[in-house]
Amino acid sequence: MDERQKLMEQIMAYDFCMIDLGLFLDTHPADANALNDFRTCYMESEKLRKQFEEKYGPINQRFLPNPRCWQWIDDPWPWAREA
Amino acid sequence: MWYYDKKLEYPINIKKCDPRMAKFIISQYGGPDGELAASLRYLSQRFHMPTKETRAILNDIGTEELAHLEMVGTMVHQLTKGVPADIMEKAGLGDFYTDHDNAVYPISASGVPFTAAYIQSKGDVIADLVEDLAAEQKARATYENLIRLADDPDVKDPLRFLREREVVHFQRFGEALRQVQELMGSKKYY
Ligand SMILES: [Fe+2]
Repeated sequence: MDERQKLMEQIMAYDFCMIDLGLFLDTHPADANALNDFRTCYMESEKLRKQFEEKYGPINQRFLPNPRCWQWIDDPWPWAREA
Repeated sequence: MWYYDKKLEYPINIKKCDPRMAKFIISQYGGPDGELAASLRYLSQRFHMPTKETRAILNDIGTEELAHLEMVGTMVHQLTKGVPADIMEKAGLGDFYTDHDNAVYPISASGVPFTAAYIQSKGDVIADLVEDLAAEQKARATYENLIRLADDPDVKDPLRFLREREVVHFQRFGEALRQVQELMGSKKYY
């Protein structure tokens, strides 16, 4: 697995935890432990996303684009098999 | 509304083509207990949910199901990419190949195209949440069948992840149903 994919999978892991904790919090909105875990995952994910996007381009279109090139269309898309 | 994240919910990297397995897995794309049906069901039902917790859970599980639809589509794509006509036919995908080449199309394992008749949005909160509980169990059972049909660990691993998620969704819908039942409290005639 290359560096890019390694970093991406770390982001995916934190983002998945946020999805799971988010569902739990929907039915347990006052659970302090879950809220705290969600905060931790959010902060870790944000940090890694920033690192990733600086190096490899946008994960999401909410990203300040380079004034000369629209990197969003660059490969790989998530459904592509790893090279 | 939604924004797209250029990533999957869980990693998929299938190195070996296997159109036989694609023919089965495609049922979770466009079949009766598939992810498209799940997403459409919850995202339609969320409009009439009575509490903030139930509105949120339907919205957010409906959203996660879209990410699952993408995962299942990715599996089918990676299992069939570049597979020639004769191999597709030997795997039972000759009919599919005729109409769809190596494309991904929402259809069941037995070849029935997706239909909204797979889902209900009744407007009755108890009826809808009970349907959602059953839907999660049916999806879980389908994933278990698929895991038994698969041999490649690259295929089994994401299928196991998807199976797990159905168990979690069932749990959350159960909590949502109990909340609504408690709210309706005194008039428990259902
Ligand atoms: Fe589900």
